[in-house]
Amino acid sequence: MDVMTQLQRQWREHTAYLRKEGYLDDQFEQLQKLQDENSPDFVAEVVSIFFDDSEKLLNNMARALEQKVVDFKQVDAHVHQFKGSSASIGAMRVKNLCIEFRNHCEAQSLEECVRCLRKLQYEYSLLKNQLEYLFKLEQQIRAAVV
Amino acid sequence: MGMSGGSAAGNDKSEGQRFSCKSKLTALVVDNGGVCRATQTALLRSYGVETEAVETGEAAVELIASGATFSLIIIEMLLPFMNGPETAKQSRAMGAQSKILGITAFFDERDQQEFLAAGADNFIEKPLSPEFVIPIIRELDN
Repeated sequence: MDVMTQLQRQWREHTAYLRKEGYLDDQFEQLQKLQDENSPDFVAEVVSIFFDDSEKLLNNMARALEQKVVDFKQVDAHVHQFKGSSASIGAMRVKNLCIEFRNHCEAQSLEECVRCLRKLQYEYSLLKNQLEYLFKLEQQIRAAVV
Repeated sequence: MGMSGGSAAGNDKSEGQRFSCKSKLTALVVDNGGVCRATQTALLRSYGVETEAVETGEAAVELIASGATFSLIIIEMLLPFMNGPETAKQSRAMGAQSKILGITAFFDERDQQEFLAAGADNFIEKPLSPEFVIPIIRELDN
């Protein structure tokens, strides 16, 4: 099997794995369909924005939960934005944790919010690693074409 | 492989089908999240809709006040300062006749009522899907 075929197979298998394990849902496929010769890096660009925004939001949530008097409405606003962006790229596990997090904000339970934030940080870092691997494969495939 | 060269749902080049609007349609995306602005803009542009995006309700209202018109305006519910419904209300007050779609991360009936009362035509939960947006574009196209 030549290098290109092998890389393409790895890419397909990894994408299937991410879907099967629930990291990604159908929305990610919708993004892939928007990538074409006019915007060949669309998915990577959007995911890069997602990484930047997510890290800011996670920091904002952490800071908000460290305040002496926690503003749960503010925390909820960050969770709202995170859910919107994770839903928009198809990051299913992250999105579902945002739903759980929101419930804890509404209940104004600091302990549960902090616990949920830790789960969210962990889940996000897993997703980031998985997507970075996927994009690495794509770069290798493009390099193999040239 | 599907890594590149694909196109939007209802717009699948591999099946030889292509959905694109016939008339010149324009859209404005109002969202404080970069991911949502990028994905919604790309989806609308893939259907031939000329699309701009702004981060705030204030920026949207300023655009409309300057005379810009849009066939479709998509507004996030929880914008900072001027929220989604207020943005819709001010847009309508200035005479905007656009189709206004309220969009949110967490669907809530009270938010829906607030948005519709402010002049929005519809209110949905993210992500913006082809199944939802194509019929709207067809309707605007006709």
